Amino acid sequence: MESRQLERFEAVVLPHLDAAYTLARYLTRNAHDAEDIVQDACLRAIRHFDSFAGDGPTSARAWLLAIVRNAAHSAQRRHRPEHGATEFDERTHSDAVADAHPETDVLRAAAKESLGRALEGLPPDYREVIVLRELQGLSYKEISDVAGVPVGTVMSRLSRARTRLQQALRDEESR
Amino acid sequence: MTHATVESELDAYLDGELAADEVRAVEAHLAECAACGRFRDERLELRAAIGARMPVFRAPDALRTRVIVAAESSGPLRLAARPVPVGRRRVALALAASLTVVAVGTWQLARADAAAETLTTAVLGSHVRSLMPGHLTDVLSSDQHTVKPWFNGRLDYSPPVYDFAERGYPLVGGRLDYVDGRAVAALVYGRRQHLINVFLWPAASGPSGGRSIGTRQGYHLLHWAAGDYVYWAVSDLGIPELEDFASLLRHADSASNAPN
Repeated sequence: MESRQLERFEAVVLPHLDAAYTLARYLTRNAHDAEDIVQDACLRAIRHFDSFAGDGPTSARAWLLAIVRNAAHSAQRRHRPEHGATEFDERTHSDAVADAHPETDVLRAAAKESLGRALEGLPPDYREVIVLRELQGLSYKEISDVAGVPVGTVMSRLSRARTRLQQALRDEESR
Repeated sequence: MTHATVESELDAYLDGELAADEVRAVEAHLAECAACGRFRDERLELRAAIGARMPVFRAPDALRTRVIVAAESSGPLRLAARPVPVGRRRVALALAASLTVVAVGTWQLARADAAAETLTTAVLGSHVRSLMPGHLTDVLSSDQHTVKPWFNGRLDYSPPVYDFAERGYPLVGGRLDYVDGRAVAALVYGRRQHLINVFLWPAASGPSGGRSIGTRQGYHLLHWAAGDYVYWAVSDLGIPELEDFASLLRHADSASNAPN
């Protein structure tokens, strides 16, 4: 990368690395895969940085998150094409993985309560709109750019996802 | 209007995605519909619960470093894939250099071949990486008699370490780094709020060349060979100060080598 391009990349894209990693963490549900996904996504971002206008309708954050999202989805398709993504995954939930990645403890602690479990159990299409909206504060338009679906679809997914999470909260309270 | 449409509409309202007239319509409805009021309250509870319980993650430093290094090295990789006629490039660079000499002062070209280019990139990458949190020093000490012995058993040479605190360049510490396919000593010196990384390794191991000065991504790189070592000094300091620092190092080296 030429130094001017490199400076622009570091100024425009790198500030969103935490957001990229957070999205990847929730999509892959484990720290190790999330790192791989983000690294893979950043390599793509570097390769295609020339094509990112910057002043266009898509924000740098949405642009990077879209690449992360696509990387995560294609990795998921590669790894377990025959399983639904919502199934309980022994590998990502086992204690051994948590020990190797201490950070996983945070997610595990969260997953012990029903809200975390409910979020992990949502279909990926629902989980990503929740993460993008609730944790990262993207606008509907940005989410629609990231997920590659119309704004109307973003709205209906968000509504359904929230209703399911609310159900989990209610279950928790009634226990 | 279906039930789901109403919920979406309320969600859009709570997400601040509605236009002013739509907002007024929703608020008028909320004022008189108890069911929708409950729906709104539950949504707000959910939002609070997610905010309180679902973590946002920080990308690991190692990941950040790998991304920066990948971005930095994507240029030379492209260069390697599409060899530039070196002769023409040298002429162009030499011409550019001769034109900028007046403006910049000193702009001496290193060997313009790919090896020097790769080495420059590697040194710069190590410098940038060292500035990330927790990467600067393995041994944090302003005492040269602590830093120098620290390298014993870690390198097959004992790098000269000085403290120029009285000249305004205090020793900050040292660390092991990896440049040009070998473990090297990196010494860190300070200058006001700036940091200088000095990389050095035995001269025999590579093309030492003469002296050179370069600027990359706002950092200045000074390269020279003195005594038994090849030196690279990298900093965001201005070139005059970096030159000043380098001459301190060279003088200290020749003073300490003199008795031998």
